[in-house]
Amino acid sequence: MELDVGFIDINDIQFSNEAGISGGVLRVDPDAIKALILSDERIRSVGVEIARPGESVRITPVKDVLEPRVKVAGPGEVFPGVLSKVRTVGSGRTHVLRGAAVVTVGRIVGFQEGIVDMTGVGADYTPFSKTVNLVLDFTPADGLAAREYEQAIRLAGIKTARALGELGRDVTPDELKTYRTLTTTESAGAYPGLPRVGYVQMLQSQGLLHDTYVYGVDMKQSLTTVIGATELMDGAIISGNCVSACDKNTTYHHQNNPVVHDLFDAHGKTLVFAGMIITNENVYLADKERSSDWTAKLAKYLGFDGVIISQEGFGNPDTDLIMNCKKIEAEGIRTVIITDEYAGRDGTSQSLADADRAADAVVTGGNANQVVTLPKLDRVIGTMMYTERIAGGFGGSVGEDGSVTVELQAITGSTNELGFNALSAR
Amino acid sequence: MMAGTIVTNNPLARDALNKIFFVEYRAESAAELLTRARDYIHAGGRLLTHPLSGGIAPGETPYKTVLVSDERGPLDYDSLSMIERAIETCEEFSSRAAPEIFLDDYMELDLAVIKGALKI
Repeated sequence: MELDVGFIDINDIQFSNEAGISGGVLRVDPDAIKALILSDERIRSVGVEIARPGESVRITPVKDVLEPRVKVAGPGEVFPGVLSKVRTVGSGRTHVLRGAAVVTVGRIVGFQEGIVDMTGVGADYTPFSKTVNLVLDFTPADGLAAREYEQAIRLAGIKTARALGELGRDVTPDELKTYRTLTTTESAGAYPGLPRVGYVQMLQSQGLLHDTYVYGVDMKQSLTTVIGATELMDGAIISGNCVSACDKNTTYHHQNNPVVHDLFDAHGKTLVFAGMIITNENVYLADKERSSDWTAKLAKYLGFDGVIISQEGFGNPDTDLIMNCKKIEAEGIRTVIITDEYAGRDGTSQSLADADRAADAVVTGGNANQVVTLPKLDRVIGTMMYTERIAGGFGGSVGEDGSVTVELQAITGSTNELGFNALSAR
Repeated sequence: MMAGTIVTNNPLARDALNKIFFVEYRAESAAELLTRARDYIHAGGRLLTHPLSGGIAPGETPYKTVLVSDERGPLDYDSLSMIERAIETCEEFSSRAAPEIFLDDYMELDLAVIKGALKI
């Protein structure tokens, strides 16, 4: 499975009556975007705004971030199984509007969406202060249930990212890269002497409002399975999460999974990228046992010598993480786990809710309880009404001078467990 | 699905689940609820759902619902360690009591998570 990815660099987004891309500028017709979104009657109104790196802008409560992409050649379309037909994606050619993002904003369950600051201290902690963002600020129809609202916003984000991506179909990319997923027979013969390394990605699937969709399927309902790493680049995995902002994987993270990219980079040099497994994080304990049994079974079946396991979220997913780690190690396969920590504000509490001797190689994305004070910014897209209540905010967190004191938990992508952000510890 | 008892302090979960499960409801704090669930484990029951869920710590949310097995056996140390950790987390987060405007959200979220776990 081979995918050519053409990166079109976007340095700015501007409103225009004529949508298109030229000279690194993405021109967006806000009325067309509104019409696209308001075709869903569950959404009463939507504000369309632009937030650029360095501007004095705070975006909150942020639900999801998506990267505009378009399938130029090869089977399927981006975000398969959601708004387009189910076809296996991950081969052919895809264009990416690199540097641009769609950010969806709306209060869904009141306390679990995040903050993105485009300047100041907060900007250092989120990767989405470095992208030019088209921000969609939603107001739901009266009386809309939270689950309906989540779905409506999820689909609106996908529609918008797809519509913007379409503008890049005929644009000549600034950079072209080819990614190739090997079959097991191909990888078995490749680079003898190098270890066969696989990737196990754990997906949040605790229940309504805490789900991840793979080809449109709720991952909670799936057994652990195998996926081609290039399929992620075409939007095969979509976030439907309202968990803590710091360590949820947005759709943008899935599209740009850094573990996948680093494994491709290391392939043939220090290791053989031998395959990828996706598994879930269910609340029912029998599901946890079953899913981790399957993870270990598939890792053995695919002949991995080593496995990288990434987690999503915290608390009960720590149990899945440790089960996966223990069972894979028990098959004689070495593991490295990527997680983050809830070690208390002073960093002295136990970091994970579960632990085991087998988990002796750990990469951390940082301490989600670390406290930061964000300065007052000139403009707020969305509302500050819920900032005190976003996970990681707390009573009295908005100061008289307009500054906001929060834990890193509240900042979108700050302690990402794919290693997408810069935070860590030694 | 194994036979179990729903232990909850969430009235929404009580009303939604009492036709399918045996529901032991009490209006009490999250810490009291977890301690009550621990009593079932001390008596030889097992936890069937994880007590930490929804990306929100007990103590932070007042509502919690767990499923424990009706079957009794020797003390299950995995269940005991899970519930003990949840009680510790609850103590750690109890300073962040839920603001009233979000009580309905917390109730609905707890129900959504347990329904997701039970696949109903």
